[in-house]
Amino acid sequence: MRADIDEILRYLRVRGETPADLRERVERTADELAETLRPQYVYRAFPLTHQPDGILLSGGAMLPGALAEKMLRGCDTAVLLCCTLGLDFERRLRALERRDMGAAVILDACGSAWVETGCDMAEAEIAERFAPRFLTDRFSPGYGDLPLSLQPFVLAALDAERRLGIHLSESFLMTPAKSVTAILGVADEPQPARVRGCGYCAMKQTCEYRKGGTSCVV
Amino acid sequence: MSSEPLDFNKVVILDGAMGTVLQSRGLKPGGVPELLNLEQPELLRGVYHDYIAAGSDVIYANTFGANALKLARTGKSVGKIVSAAIALAKDAAAGTGVRVALDIGPLGELLEPMGTLPFERAYELFREIALAGAAAGADLAVIETMTDLYEAKAALLAVKENTGLPVLVTMSFEASGRTFTGCTVASMAHTLTGLGADAIGLNCSLGPDKLAPLMRELCEHTPLPVIAKPNAGLPDPVDGHYDMDAQSFAQILAPLADAGVSVFGGCCGTSPDYVRGVAERLKGRTPVKRTVRREGFVCTPVRPLPLTGVRVIGERINPTGKKRFQQALLDNDLDYILDVAVAQEDAGADILDVNVGYPGVDEVSMLPRVVEALQGTVPLPLMLDSSNAKALEAALRVYNGKAVVNSVNGDTEVLERVLPIIRKYGAAVVGLTLDKGGVPQTAEQRFAIAKCILDAALSYGIPREDVWIDCLTLTVSAQQEQARETLRALRMVREELGLQTVLGVSNISFGLPNRPLVTRTFLIEALHAGLTLPILNPNQTELMDAIAAFRVLSGEDEACRAYVERFADYEPPKAGTSVIVSSAKSGKTEKSASAPLTLDEAVVRGLKTEAAALAREALQNESELALVDDHLIPALDRVGEGYEAGKVFLPQLLSAAQAAQAVFEVIRASLAEKGGASVKRGALVVATVRGDVHDIGKNIVKTVLENYGYDVLDLGRDVAPEMIVDAVREKGIRLVGLSALMTTTLGAMEETVKRLRALPQPPKVFVGGAVVTPEYARRIGADYYAKDAKASVEVAREVLQ
Repeated sequence: MRADIDEILRYLRVRGETPADLRERVERTADELAETLRPQYVYRAFPLTHQPDGILLSGGAMLPGALAEKMLRGCDTAVLLCCTLGLDFERRLRALERRDMGAAVILDACGSAWVETGCDMAEAEIAERFAPRFLTDRFSPGYGDLPLSLQPFVLAALDAERRLGIHLSESFLMTPAKSVTAILGVADEPQPARVRGCGYCAMKQTCEYRKGGTSCVV
Repeated sequence: MSSEPLDFNKVVILDGAMGTVLQSRGLKPGGVPELLNLEQPELLRGVYHDYIAAGSDVIYANTFGANALKLARTGKSVGKIVSAAIALAKDAAAGTGVRVALDIGPLGELLEPMGTLPFERAYELFREIALAGAAAGADLAVIETMTDLYEAKAALLAVKENTGLPVLVTMSFEASGRTFTGCTVASMAHTLTGLGADAIGLNCSLGPDKLAPLMRELCEHTPLPVIAKPNAGLPDPVDGHYDMDAQSFAQILAPLADAGVSVFGGCCGTSPDYVRGVAERLKGRTPVKRTVRREGFVCTPVRPLPLTGVRVIGERINPTGKKRFQQALLDNDLDYILDVAVAQEDAGADILDVNVGYPGVDEVSMLPRVVEALQGTVPLPLMLDSSNAKALEAALRVYNGKAVVNSVNGDTEVLERVLPIIRKYGAAVVGLTLDKGGVPQTAEQRFAIAKCILDAALSYGIPREDVWIDCLTLTVSAQQEQARETLRALRMVREELGLQTVLGVSNISFGLPNRPLVTRTFLIEALHAGLTLPILNPNQTELMDAIAAFRVLSGEDEACRAYVERFADYEPPKAGTSVIVSSAKSGKTEKSASAPLTLDEAVVRGLKTEAAALAREALQNESELALVDDHLIPALDRVGEGYEAGKVFLPQLLSAAQAAQAVFEVIRASLAEKGGASVKRGALVVATVRGDVHDIGKNIVKTVLENYGYDVLDLGRDVAPEMIVDAVREKGIRLVGLSALMTTTLGAMEETVKRLRALPQPPKVFVGGAVVTPEYARRIGADYYAKDAKASVEVAREVLQ
């Protein structure tokens, strides 16, 4: 398995025809990353109850707002997930930045796509664990009206500092940088796609694709 | 305090999990367990009693997270929590002979360079805990669950320098054999042993089965008592329940005693039952004797370097005789020094010598600064090269891993000044075979000094494998007979004392034509005489080739693998095959007919090596300034236009920029040789604002601006507004670029702009980053919004023309 090459090219803001040598460099970097670095992840399931002011997870956290409400409608359990490429990736990127900045931005973009692929792997495993029940789409603190300030709770609930080496800054940034937290709902019925489109994206005001009249298909 | 120190001549039983047990007795996940010391003392008392009854010789007081960072939001002081916790545990242990440990866990923030917490700040936080624990009467301190060797070092120093408590240190490893920060078992073992821990080991993260191979490795690398405190297997991903029962745990853990582990306990998922099982099997046993490897060792966390063959020490980080390097030191241009380091790493150096001694440079502040910068950039162990003991101590303090110091000599005063520092920080040391009388003329006299240095080191408790001897190279054209004496002394030291040997080989050929030939011949002879640690310029390929061949002949390069890889593309030299051939006779550049390459094109296509070579050629006919104005800038503009038009993309833009950087480096070196002024087009500051640690965007901007000739002062990431203001004020900066990636850090950007605006002579400010919009830039009072690196060049042109 490797990361999605077209997605990497989008991260690199390559539009129109991709020069063949650039595509080849990207493919080579993505392959090498896939061969040498496995995304690490942990997840944990929390029974939930629907309350007037949000979704309450067992253990005490409240997911407020319209997005959580919409995503977890019909669900009785939320799975919290954290996936990271670890500090190893961070070190590789810094070493490359000093030698070849062009190669470094390619690696950076490959890392962004690879950690998403790691989330896909985790999601497949979670789906298997919960079969024959169904999962919702993944969504994350910082999407729509789900506040980024939930990060400390998500990471604490997953014991992510101890189990994955994730550190959170006061402004809710994760180190290692290539880390993702996500939430998935578990329900008895098949779940339709619910977060699609630019309305949920924090980048909507500056997005190059939107300016060009297209989208990145988050 | 108990009267007797903990007896490591018998197996010691520690306790099991605190958190797991508290949760099973009602603590909510996410609660602060340290508050229980004040709120529910009975609950803790119960846990302590149960572990003591189960057979623990040591119980850990409930102080794991009792540091000022983690307690900040509780409103409780470290002193209050720690003294309550220790008092409770001591009360529970009273009359039983069980020892109470002050438990010190990670601070919860990542240290520099991967994180933002400075080493000395970490030290201060640990110091506060250590002092509180000692005052409350703890019998010992345990530093546990560390994943960052640097943090473990800060904690260990803090306990040792401020209390008389014995210290146990355990770290957490993944099944890969590394911690999350990349630290290896061997690096951990040698570093913590050298720093004076009383026992070391592994805790948490894995069950006893997965931990076993790592425990065996640890036993090979330290003479200290070794601790195993594993989890009860692995947690179930869905419900968090650990999968190993008490009986299996003890059954799997106990055999580690035969490998040499002598201190046992449990971590997450364990309980008094688990400890009882272990105690029943092991308590009171006599630890087995084990053999520890003694070959000599230096390391960084990620790079363990056992001295089991030829190890190359790169000599290039040294200002002696290098104008460009001297200039970099005086300008505080650490980037240049880092580039020199990276080039040596890529050329195959195993260790880097670091010498920053030069008139006008304060070594006491510069050496540690350079060490920190190097450790954030290259993984190689460092050789700290100075005769200034204060500079050495400052650098050893911030060094992460086990370093080597260059050097002491047979002079008693020098030995007395430096060896205590070597001992305290657990470094290795190079001894030069000279004394107050100078360099002795015979091998026997040099050997005698070597022996005297060794004896002095041993008397300070420095193990003999940490003493490396340099028999000193003298210039053969000046003192011809001395080459033989050096080699003879070297052989004696190696064969009779069995010590590691160091030798700088380059000086041998000074004053002779075709120096590389003489140097290489001497190097090969020295290797055969027993030289293990040559100091040389690894960028000289012929020297590294000789070492590659020597490693084949000595058997160090198993199955000739490294040699074959090195020469996989080797072809016997033939005339006219390379693209660029520098011809000594004509002084011109020849190009192969198929690919004529101009400097401009080399830059546009991002060909770094070729661009630098062409620039060197061009400088024979053109001035430095003309090279910049007529070739470099037009080439970069061409790339920039292609980028604007969507025909050239970011990786290509940056490759071109770095080719330009290589050309600039050639120009700078040329100007430094002539002692002339620089071609800088004006200085600006760039920084990623406070709270924001993602800096690749800022680095892209920096790369591109530098390659347009701007002097970019990079303040880094997570930079406080006042630091930016100070830099602007001190250096009279006229332009500042700020980057922010997250909505949560835009506030810091706004504050920084406001503060810069308030200066008597406010600089222009441009801002950028993923979430920054033109509207936002205007609203917070920035002068420019730069949508990308190319746009920042336009801003710089306008402001700094």
